[in-house]
This record gives sequence, structure tokens and C-alpha cells, in this order.
Amino acid sequence: MSAKLQEVFQKQQQQQNQSEIVADDEVLQLVGFMVGEEEYAIPILTIQEIIKPIEYTRVPRTPQFVLGVFNLRGSVIPLIDLRIKFGVPATKTNEDTRYIVLKDGDDTAGFVIDKLNQAMRIEKKNIDPAPEATTQDKSLIEGVGKKEDRIITILKVSKLLERDF
Amino acid sequence: MDEFQEILQDFLVEAFELIEQLDQDLVELENNPDDLDLLNRIFRVAHTIKGSSSFLNFDVLTRLTHHMEDVLNKARKEELKVTPEVMDVVLPSIDMMKGLLAQIRDTGTDEGGIDIEEIVQKLDAISKGEDPSAGGGGEAPTEASSNESSGSEEKASENKEGATVNPDDPLADEPELDYSNMSEEEIEKEIERLLKKRQEADRAKREAKKKAEQGGGEEKKPEQKAPAPQQSKPAAPKPAAPKPASPAGAKKPPAKPAVEQTIRVDVRRLDHLMNLIGELVLGKNRLMKINDDVEERYEGEEFLEELNQVVSMISLVTTDLQIAVMKTRMLPIGKVFNKFPRMIRDLSRELNKKIELRIEGEETELDKSIVEEIGDPLVHIIRNSCDHGIETPEERAAKGKPETGVVELKAYNEGNHIVIQITDDGKGMDPEVLKQKSIEKGILSEKEAAQMTDKEAFGLIFRPGFSTAAKVTNVSGRGVGMDVVKTNIEKLNGIIDIESEVNVGTTMKLKIPLTLAIIQALLVGVQEEYYAIPLASVLETVRITPEEIYTVENRQVLRLRDEVLSLVHLADIFDVERVFENQDHTYVVVLGLAESKIGVIVDSLVGQEEIVIKNLGEYLKGMDGIAGATIRGDGGVTLIVDVAAIMNMAKEIKSQAVQVETTQSKPKNGPEDYVVMIVDDSKTDRKIMKSALKPLGVQIIEATDGVDALTKLKSGEYDIDAVMVDIEMPRMDGYTLATEIRKYNKFKNLPLLAVTSRNSKSDRMRGVEAGMSEYITKPYSPEYIVNVVRRNLGLD
Repeated sequence: MSAKLQEVFQKQQQQQNQSEIVADDEVLQLVGFMVGEEEYAIPILTIQEIIKPIEYTRVPRTPQFVLGVFNLRGSVIPLIDLRIKFGVPATKTNEDTRYIVLKDGDDTAGFVIDKLNQAMRIEKKNIDPAPEATTQDKSLIEGVGKKEDRIITILKVSKLLERDF
Repeated sequence: MDEFQEILQDFLVEAFELIEQLDQDLVELENNPDDLDLLNRIFRVAHTIKGSSSFLNFDVLTRLTHHMEDVLNKARKEELKVTPEVMDVVLPSIDMMKGLLAQIRDTGTDEGGIDIEEIVQKLDAISKGEDPSAGGGGEAPTEASSNESSGSEEKASENKEGATVNPDDPLADEPELDYSNMSEEEIEKEIERLLKKRQEADRAKREAKKKAEQGGGEEKKPEQKAPAPQQSKPAAPKPAAPKPASPAGAKKPPAKPAVEQTIRVDVRRLDHLMNLIGELVLGKNRLMKINDDVEERYEGEEFLEELNQVVSMISLVTTDLQIAVMKTRMLPIGKVFNKFPRMIRDLSRELNKKIELRIEGEETELDKSIVEEIGDPLVHIIRNSCDHGIETPEERAAKGKPETGVVELKAYNEGNHIVIQITDDGKGMDPEVLKQKSIEKGILSEKEAAQMTDKEAFGLIFRPGFSTAAKVTNVSGRGVGMDVVKTNIEKLNGIIDIESEVNVGTTMKLKIPLTLAIIQALLVGVQEEYYAIPLASVLETVRITPEEIYTVENRQVLRLRDEVLSLVHLADIFDVERVFENQDHTYVVVLGLAESKIGVIVDSLVGQEEIVIKNLGEYLKGMDGIAGATIRGDGGVTLIVDVAAIMNMAKEIKSQAVQVETTQSKPKNGPEDYVVMIVDDSKTDRKIMKSALKPLGVQIIEATDGVDALTKLKSGEYDIDAVMVDIEMPRMDGYTLATEIRKYNKFKNLPLLAVTSRNSKSDRMRGVEAGMSEYITKPYSPEYIVNVVRRNLGLD
């Protein structure tokens, strides 16, 4: 465990060292994660916390992607499955599954993701607007970031937290 | 008196708050004279203070604010430009307003002390579009104002204790006149006369006081009500020289304001406190659950005793704390009741009726949020009682009732509820008339009307669009009011109960929970899910077997004592996935809200628990049927049922709920697996039928009459697939048997074949009505009957 931790720390250290060269206001700090086969990212400041899956209660008469509500230290928070929302077939929870709790103003909701990748910094000049032909609802996408050889879809948090049913 | 003091206190607090804001706004206005928002805000302050002060009879303040309002209104409408000259007048006028308010706070009156005439004239000049510097300045105050200010000093002392009730009032001996019947000139004259009388009285008093001061020397106490009653009468008015209206002369040591026993707290702080308590209650629930678990596991251990003590102590203190915080949010319902005497007075005048209002229990306390919501419904109910309930004096006399009708408003506590009862001794409501009216208005079908109980019929008055008044009056009859009552009471999870008797009167009972944030709930299980139902809406719970559920016109109903209750399965409302089969019994939770009732079928009852209502957040706000959520002792989330919403939803849900699966028993491979019951009282007939069916190869059982058949069918001993029914039978005939069988949901599709020699058209019709599937006339050929049975069993 501690070795693993060490590794994570080192990785973070490296990342920080790398990005220190670029001025802060030109860089977006993001947290990357997987939903299905694709990598997505969310601005780090909109994340309230990331937790392991806990029990939730189904709320009737909601769309399928709304799994229900769960108890986060006394607050009742809706839980949304991003797989279903993005049209990826649902899978069972495994040990990589996490809930990302996002906050935008008074709106809070938890989102089920398949796997957490890492925190990253992407220079703003490396972020392109959302491409025309994407499978998902375009309004959910803030932009597409390029990082080394990967392409990461950056999600619009305000839109994710907006009720669309 | 106390009541007046209370209103006065509220007024002052509000006014000073407003002024505080005003100061900032005015400073800003100097910089942005064109800011419309700012002007509007300042205008509203003047307007508000004017309104309240005129209500409280502070004439000087009213006059001042009225003129200020004029100017500000013009500025707001851009008919007037806010120049520094204008501000030079507006600002001092606001200072003066502050001065008047301070004076009211200290002495209880606004008269004397501050002379507003000059500023009023300046304000007038501005609003007329003149240059403020030209008018007002040097001019002497008008006649009226000098009168007023000269008289005011004395009034200041006589009004010290409060403005409304005053034993020394020179006008106290004036009879209450009906001004509404007078012409304008008459009123004018009357006012003049009264003014004169008052001035004379004042003069007399001044005289007396002067004398007293010369004699008594040190008697300068402001409380002193020097003039004796006879002096207040204008018997010997001496032409005394009017005292100069100098403020200095009116200087009296201000009455010391009573030490504040209350503090005003922002409601949000209390809400926050309530939330914290909510957390604590949840924690307590959890602790108690853990305690139970521990008890089971470590039975007999010594530390258990100690743990038990701590847990019960915490639970006790939490409960007390919760009650204490709840109490801080409580207001006496008198706050709402207070406005009704006036309303009744106005109403009786308007309607030409004699009505007396009796109020009881105004000290009963309720949560603030509920007090705010209860006002409107009560206004509507009382208006309704006055307009539709109480008769005119002539009608009442004819009925042998006292001419004056009585409306009684009563509040009292009943367990965790408060009951507000509105009773009138008017003409009452006739359920038949209500039904008739509803049918005319198309809000009720004749069929529905026939099935309605009297109580349900009374509930019709809450339907939107219903009004029994023959004509629409100012007071009511537009058919909106009672609808509002229902909506508001439902919002509070309250229950409305109506009792009425023609010519005796109507009683309406509103039963409302004391608080909204922490409630008692009944936890119910549906399949693998749990839901919390506010206990306030639960009337009772019943355990039933599925056979007790009847289906009437596609609706499931339950006969509960002498009432027919419509049923809905919670699983259908919330689309709960069916994991396990229906058991041999279920539970019905009877819910009551406002005036309606419904039975909700659930699979299990978990128990009663105190729950804290939490909302589902922005994202899931306003989901149908869900009022919120709560966190249970085990940390899980349980949804709270919105009783009002599910009552509405139940209307749209089809009854497929407790469909008992008859096919589940065993697969049917051939005719020998089918069972046909023959019901006939004649042994010969049964024999003939039996032999006729023999070639088909089905199993046959026999019943000798309707009762026998029904018992055999219900016992479940035989899995019967079709019934051949004779019509003429002792004890229970074929039609009745068919009707009885069809009442059971699980026999809804059971083929019932009437076999009879009665073959007139009306007989056939009756058979169809009773629920027969086929009608076979005697005599029949064996082939024919085999074919019919085969077709009905689906053996083709």
C-alpha cells in the first residue's frame, strides 16, 4: 500500500514539475476518468469529493440514468449513471467504480464513473471546442483537450447538473 | 390594549428597519438621481409607513408621508427631476419622519413636538412643480395647522398610554354613527362639529392644567391625566389664548420603554438550528439502532447497562432539545385570528346580516411557517360561512333562530396536531343539493353522485369551479376560494373534516400537524423498497386478504365497515419491480388528506419512526409523488410519500395490482386438467349436463345452489375453470351468484355459462349485466354444450 502511495506521490510530483513552467491562468486543472471506453475530464474545482460506491435508494418515475439518491453525510444527493446517460451499456459495479460528487452553485449531484484516472493540467491552447459530430448531446461537452497522445473530452458541469427531463 | 401595543411594536420595528435602508438609498440617490430602482425603493418605504401609520391613527406622520409619497411618486414616474433643490426638501422630510417615529416610540403618539407644516408645504410645492424655495419658507402656517399644532400638545399627554382607548377622549361620548349612509356634506359637517368639540375640550383642559400647575407646582409628571372628567366636557370653554406651538413646551420626560423580553431572530437562523437538530435526531435514531444490535450480541455484559443509560439520556435530551427549538418557531394562532373580528364586522355590513364572532383558544401555538399558510384558508372558510352559511335576520327569525348568527372560531391541541374548528349556526349544507349542483356544473357524473356518501358530498365544495351561491357576490361565489383552502391545507399535510346539518349549521375541522420539519412517519415496505408516509395523513391500517378486494368499474375497492374505499397499490404508483409473489395477505394504509380518503396497498408495515424531512435537491425537485427524503438509522435514504400527489396519481392508475395468478398452479395439458363446476338445484338436470359433457373429458364438480357454489369457488380447493349456472335456484339464484363471483378480481375472467329455460330478451340482458359469459337455453343438444364449454375453456 505504502509503495503504491509513494508511486502516486511521485507521479503527482512529476506532473507538478512539468506544469510549473506554464503560467497558471493558461492552464486548466482537470480530473480525468473513464466511462466506457472513453476518457473524460472535469475541472477540479467543481468536484466536491470522490467516494467509493455506497448504497442508494431508487427514486420512482425518473429516467433510467437517474439511479436514485444517496446519503452523503446527512445530505440527500441524486446519483446519475454516466454510462446510461452517455448511451454506453451499463455494467456492474466493480472495485474501480467511483461516485464523483459535483457542485455548481446550489446544485449537487453524484455521478457514477467506471474508473478514475488522474488529475491533470491541460494548457488552454490545447483545448479545442467540441467537434461537430459527436455521439452525445453536444451541449454537455465543454471542449476536447489534447494531452500527449490522448484525446480527452471535457464535460460542462453546469449542464451535467441541469435537470433535462 | 395589549394587542394595540403589539401592533405598534411591530410597526416601529419595521419602520426603523426600513429607514435604516432608506438612509443608504438616499445617499446613493444623490449620486444617481436617475436610478429608478432606488427611487422605487424609497417610494415604497414612504408608502409603507404611510399605510401603517394611517391605520394606527398617527395623523401627523400620515400627513407627512403622504406628501413625501406624492413627490417621490412624481419623481418615480419621471414627471419630476430629482434636483439637489428637491433633495433639500426630501431629506429633511425624511429626518422629520425619523423624528416622528422616535417620538412615537418614546411617547406613543406623533402629535406635538414636531411641526411638519413647513415641510409639507414645500413638498406640496414641489409636487405641483413650483420652485420649493419660493413657497412655504416665509409663509405662516395655515389656519388648520395652527389649530392642530396648538391642540397637539395636550393630545400628546392625553394619548400617552395609547391612541385608541382613552377615557378622557372628549369624543368618547359621541355615538358610533354609520358614516357609510351619510352624504359627503354630512360627513364633512360631522367632522367639523367633532373637531370643534375636541378643540374646545382641549382648551378647557389647558385652562385646568394651567391652574393645576400654578397650584400644585411640581406636578409635572407626564403620566398625569390632569383634567377630571367634567372638565373634558366643553361646558365652560374659556377663550384662553392659544399657547404657542413651540416644541419646547411639549418636552416631557419620555416614558421609559419597557425592557425588551424578546429578541428578533432571523428565521434563517432558526431554520439552520432546526436543520442541526434534524441531524441530531438522525444520529440519535442511528445510535438507538446500534444499541439494539449491541444488546443482542453482548447480552448480559456489564457495559451494556452503561451504554443503555447514555443512549437513553441522549435520546431524552435530543427530544427535549427538539421540542425547545420547535417552540422558538411557534407563534400563537391569535396572530391570524386577530384580523377576523374586523372582517366579520365588514362582512355583516356588506351582506346585511347580523353575525357574531366567538374566538376561543387564540393562545394555541403553531409553527411560524404554518401560521403563515393558515391565514388564507381561514379567510375563505369564514367568508363562506358568513355568505353561504348564516342566513339573513329575516330568514333566521322565520326559522325561529336568534337573529344574530354565530360564527365560532376555535383552536385547540390534539396530540401532535392542532385543530382549528370553524362552526356556524347557519343553514347547513344539503348533500343532495350539492350533488345536484355538481352534476349541473359537470364536475360530477350521476353515477358518481349515486355512490357518494354525505361526507364525500360535502367535499364537493372544494372542487374547483364549484359554488353554491345563486349569485356571485363580492364576498364569494366565484368558485375559487374553497379550492384554495384545500390546496393550502394539503400543503400542510392537514385534514379537513366537515359536518353539516340542514338548518342547524356547519362545522369544519382543520387538523394540522404542529410542525413540518420533523414528523412522525409510518414506514411501509413494497417488495424490497421502503417508503415513509407522514403519520398525520394515516387514518388507520388494515390487514386484508386479496379476496377482500373487489373490482368496480376497473377500480379496486375495499369495503371497510360501512364505507367503500378505493384502493391503489403503492407498487403501481412507484413502478416497483415485482421480485416476489403476492402473499396471502396484504396491508392497506388508509390515508386521509383534506376531505378525501384512499387506501394504499403495501406489502408490509415496518413501523412508526420520527423522521427529518430533507429535500431531494434541485436536480430531483418536484418529482411526482415524492415529498422528500429522510435518512434512516442505518444511514440509508428512505423516500417520503407525497400523500396529496399520490391521491391524484391514483386516479390515473389502472387496477392491475393484486391480480392473483390462477394459472400458476399447474400446467394444463389436456381436457382432463380442466375443472368445470355445474351449479343446479335439480339432481336430474345436473346428471343430464354431466353426461352431455362426458365426451369432452373434463373434470366435473357439482354444487346444489348459488351459496354452495360460491363457497366451493372461494375455498380454493378446486381450481375451477368454468361454471355452468342454472338461473332458478333456492337460497341464491344464478344472477346473484354471477354478480358475487364477478366482485372478485381473480374470478373476473372466469367463464360463467348460464343454462336456463328462460330465454326472453330481458332475461338475457339481465344475465349479461350480472356478468354471465354465455347464455345457453334449455333444451340443448349435447354437441352444442360441448362446443360452448370447449370454446370457453380455450380448448379449440
